[in-house]
Amino acid sequence: MQETLFSFLGDNLRLFFTYTGIYNAEPGHFVMIAIGLLFIFLAIKYEFEPMLLIPIGFGILIGNIPFKDAGLQIGIYEQGSVLNILYQGVTSGWYPPLIFLGIGAMTDFSALISNPKLMLIGAAAQFGIFGAYVIALQAGFEPNQAGAIGIIGGADGPTAIFLSSKLAPELMGAIAISAYSYMALVPIIQPPFMKLLTTPKERIIRMKPPRVVSSTEKIMFPIIGLLLTCFLVPSGLPLLGMLFFGNLLKESGVTRRLAETARGPLIDTITILLGVTVGASTQATQFLTLNSVKIFGLGALSFVIATCAGVLFVKFFNLFLGSGNKINPLIGNSGVSAVPDSARISQVVGLRYDPGNYLLMHAMGPNVAGVIGSAVAAGILLGFLA
Amino acid sequence: MNRIQTKPRGGFLRPAAIFLIAALLLAGRTEAPAQRVTSMKINEVLVVNEDNFVDDYGKRSGWIELYNTSAGTVNIGGCFLTNERGNPKKYPIPKGDILTRISPRQHVLFWADGVASRGTFHLNFALEAGQENYIALYDSDGKTLVDSLLIPPAQQADVSYGRSKDGEEGWMYFTKVTPSTNNLTLDKNEKIDNFKTNDSLGLGMTITAMAVVFLGLFFLYLVFKQVARLAIAAGKFRAQKAGHATVHGSDLSGEVLAAISAALYELNEDVHDIERTVLTIQKVKRNYSPWSSKIYSLRENPKK
Repeated sequence: MQETLFSFLGDNLRLFFTYTGIYNAEPGHFVMIAIGLLFIFLAIKYEFEPMLLIPIGFGILIGNIPFKDAGLQIGIYEQGSVLNILYQGVTSGWYPPLIFLGIGAMTDFSALISNPKLMLIGAAAQFGIFGAYVIALQAGFEPNQAGAIGIIGGADGPTAIFLSSKLAPELMGAIAISAYSYMALVPIIQPPFMKLLTTPKERIIRMKPPRVVSSTEKIMFPIIGLLLTCFLVPSGLPLLGMLFFGNLLKESGVTRRLAETARGPLIDTITILLGVTVGASTQATQFLTLNSVKIFGLGALSFVIATCAGVLFVKFFNLFLGSGNKINPLIGNSGVSAVPDSARISQVVGLRYDPGNYLLMHAMGPNVAGVIGSAVAAGILLGFLA
Repeated sequence: MNRIQTKPRGGFLRPAAIFLIAALLLAGRTEAPAQRVTSMKINEVLVVNEDNFVDDYGKRSGWIELYNTSAGTVNIGGCFLTNERGNPKKYPIPKGDILTRISPRQHVLFWADGVASRGTFHLNFALEAGQENYIALYDSDGKTLVDSLLIPPAQQADVSYGRSKDGEEGWMYFTKVTPSTNNLTLDKNEKIDNFKTNDSLGLGMTITAMAVVFLGLFFLYLVFKQVARLAIAAGKFRAQKAGHATVHGSDLSGEVLAAISAALYELNEDVHDIERTVLTIQKVKRNYSPWSSKIYSLRENPKK
């Protein structure tokens, strides 16, 4: 009787052990857990995009707890599991437009409206996307995969997730992690290239203070912006439509509650769900591949190309501008749409060379133009390659 | 300082605005055929079925395939299929059958066997070999023609007649019939293959896409350049009308503007702290509701 009981308990414990994470762990899981911990460390210690890196980092921990595939509906890739249901917003592509709604409701386009020529810098920085596309093609990726990888250069996480979910869902985890990682590393990536491509004289160019923009202009911007960009690129509608809609909620002045919800609880909720599920989607078995390494390399290159293209375009543009209207090329980097980090970099680097030269407001123009530009670029890639 | 707001705002505009919105909505309704029966198309037909597709009863007969061209589910229950021009209501498609809800870009097959008792998808007419066949789909009112087809005579056995691409114009014969599936099945992505063949370096894509991005933002630049001009002119006009002197922003340095702004901010804050007698009276409109009526919540006065 006792022997049978002990044998039963022993079998049970052995069976239980096969269900534990310790039994099912592989080296890849520990590598991914280390990456997740690094993200959390960078977010807390250096405050690199903490709103993104903490949910993603913790999501990586969640996604890399090893378990026995026994149909218990635990993992993010198991249909019907809680994580899988939450992940639908990523795979179906409806989290990113909701994030854009919030971004629109919190973005002040005044800097852009007061000096509309800064929009062109936002366009120039999109060379990062297509530079990476060209290199990705040479690295052996298919055109649709190259398009999804190239969008990392747009420095816009929601756009990267949206486009990769449509063009190359198999690469989405690596692309999303790469995009958010480099967005967090903008303070490290951009300044050396900004310094390299500018002369001391150019770095101290003082720009005219932006004029005050009327509320009518601010209301007109999202309406005209939507009509112009979406008639040109209808495939950008999910992102651009929500971006401009959110902005109209903010600027109309009569939908304060809706705007506050969009830029507050709604975007916070979606950011949490997006971050944690994207992080959890990086299961070692799916994520640790040679392609992921290539994507990380291409992502870094795309940021460098975007930064250089923005700065060089300003220098080129200055050739056609009068002496009083010159643009400081240090705001060229902010054409990548990592809002507001890249604009902040312009400010910090600018202050280093001229402590009285405040570039932040000027840099916000190309920065928000970059958001529009990258959404338009995503629409074009979607139209051509989907 | 007393501020009294009692004037209702935009009262006369409201009925006009509601009328305008309603009119636009109605106008939009007539322009949006998606997800309605009008999205259905006759897509492929087989008149002579000798050695071809077999129905659930193991019988061979002619068939008619319909295709939902829209991006939404369409319910064809209650619509009519016919092979007689003067009798549009010849075969009423039964209502309430879940299978008559056709998913987006999906197909449904009707057997033209003349035995409607076999189920929803068996018609009460058959297609005649050796002669011209007319078939039509009518909306549930029996009057609105959704789609019709005149099948040429002398159809070959086991060769279907269908649209070369689902839902689109252009008809052809299919020796490899495709009942309940796409007429044109793709085993490759043409767009991607095209880019692989003609733009292996990616330069074509780069040039095209960057041109579009620049164009889009350039349009915005042009529009807002003009808007800015108008706004500045309007601002000057208003200032002149009010009799104030204008100061150009370019005449003042950023530090001076910051100092002025800070001073104004502090002044406003102080004013607010000192003048606590600011009174704002706003008209509050409360609609009558029996839930908030005192009649129902207070006891009646006692009768003496």
